[in-house]
Amino acid sequence: MQAALWVAKTGLAAQDAKMATISNNLANVNTTGFKRDRVAFEDLFYQVERQPGAQQDQQNQLPSGVQVGNGVRIVGTQKVFTEGGFENTGQDLDLAIVGRGFFQIELPSGETAYTRNGQFNRNSEGLMVNSDGLPLVPQIQIPENALAVSIGTDGTVTAQIAGDAQPQELGQITTVNFTNPAGLEAMGGNLFKQTAASGQPQEGVPGTEALGSLKQQTLEGSNVSVVEEMVNMIATQRAYEMNAKVVSSTDQMLKFINQSV
Amino acid sequence: MERFLYTAMGGALHTLTAQRIHANNLANAGTTGFRADLEQVAAYQVQGPGFASNVLAQEQDPTTDFTPGHLETTGRDLDVAIRGAGFLSVQAANGKEAYTRAGNLQVDADGQLLADGRPVLGVGGPIQVPDYQSITLGQDGTVSVVPVGGNATLQLGQLKLVNPAIQGLAKGEDGLFHLKAGGQAPQDPNVVLEPGHLEASNVNAVDEMVNTLSLSRTFEVQIRMMKTADELSAAGSRLVRGA
Repeated sequence: MQAALWVAKTGLAAQDAKMATISNNLANVNTTGFKRDRVAFEDLFYQVERQPGAQQDQQNQLPSGVQVGNGVRIVGTQKVFTEGGFENTGQDLDLAIVGRGFFQIELPSGETAYTRNGQFNRNSEGLMVNSDGLPLVPQIQIPENALAVSIGTDGTVTAQIAGDAQPQELGQITTVNFTNPAGLEAMGGNLFKQTAASGQPQEGVPGTEALGSLKQQTLEGSNVSVVEEMVNMIATQRAYEMNAKVVSSTDQMLKFINQSV
Repeated sequence: MERFLYTAMGGALHTLTAQRIHANNLANAGTTGFRADLEQVAAYQVQGPGFASNVLAQEQDPTTDFTPGHLETTGRDLDVAIRGAGFLSVQAANGKEAYTRAGNLQVDADGQLLADGRPVLGVGGPIQVPDYQSITLGQDGTVSVVPVGGNATLQLGQLKLVNPAIQGLAKGEDGLFHLKAGGQAPQDPNVVLEPGHLEASNVNAVDEMVNTLSLSRTFEVQIRMMKTADELSAAGSRLVRGA
């Protein structure tokens, strides 16, 4: 059957995938620490219908061959790790990383996941946990009689204990960095998993090496730009419609053959 | 047999190929740095004795439209677009040097600088990137990083930016451009990079759509001609039969 149909189909599939990404970005416009996705397209391989330099007849050679493209493919989605806006919340256990780096979160399986979402709470045992109740690594235990917790820019956690003049040191939060953060696998729940593409995590004290420093009582917003997504949505929708038009027009051609021959 | 039946058939076949080329352009309306293909047909006269009435349409290799696409701001450090003419050099799967306009660069876990999964070539070969705090691509293609620990800028090399004559370029099966004559294009200091931008596809969606519609009508005309050829030969048969 007609190749143009299949080529246009790849176009439809690609625009479809892009629309799904856009809607996910928009859905997460208010998700703390969310990083928007971007779809990358690449043209598919080209098919050689006739080699350049083939013999046309006894005397003549073809001046050029014919090679035609096969459409488009989705190379992948990339997380774009630009910083979101920071908002002050006034909560002691809200942290934002200003610069590069990720918090480490211990999964129920014992593996470590990584996140930019620094919205922490205390659980019943006094541990610092994320909104899903998963503990921060290294674990920070806040005593019951702590009046106020302060977290320094380098991740040092101290607490003012009732009846104590001296603040008590509770621990040190470390963050990690990756050579290629875009290669991390998004697991949902604001968490990322390390992959072969991201490289090994390099742990360190916030504010040193390449790691960003911590800001207490602050959260990093989503880095989705609503206007940009809207414009992308319009462009994607129109591109989709045009590819659909190619399908219908190719279909008309086939229909014409069927009816008139 | 009516010879023009074959002429019409050739025309219809060419229309199908052209339709496919335009479908491919439209499918790539959102592909970074894509360059549209334009179909080419040449009239070809069948040689031999008799009246020279047999002219067929012959497909030629599609040419490429090298008009630059518009630049989109992304703000990502590793996105580069080329302002005006020029290309980035990458290493194709066969190890040879090829050229592309798609500047959506990435650093993989081994610190290699890649464009769509292919190593990007610097003036002295592929570029290795150490662990960095921040990375900057300059307008002349200079890649520099502030390494982990900071306080200093480290120059890693310069991207090989080329600007060969476009008549000598052809699109390969992998969609990358290479020199028809083989070999490598020399580095051109006048090519300007725009860091933080990506170049959109240069496909004009409206053009492609109008072409698609017009091809679809052309196709119908060719089929109509075949039908006419059929009617002519049927009339001939009737005369011979004396019906």
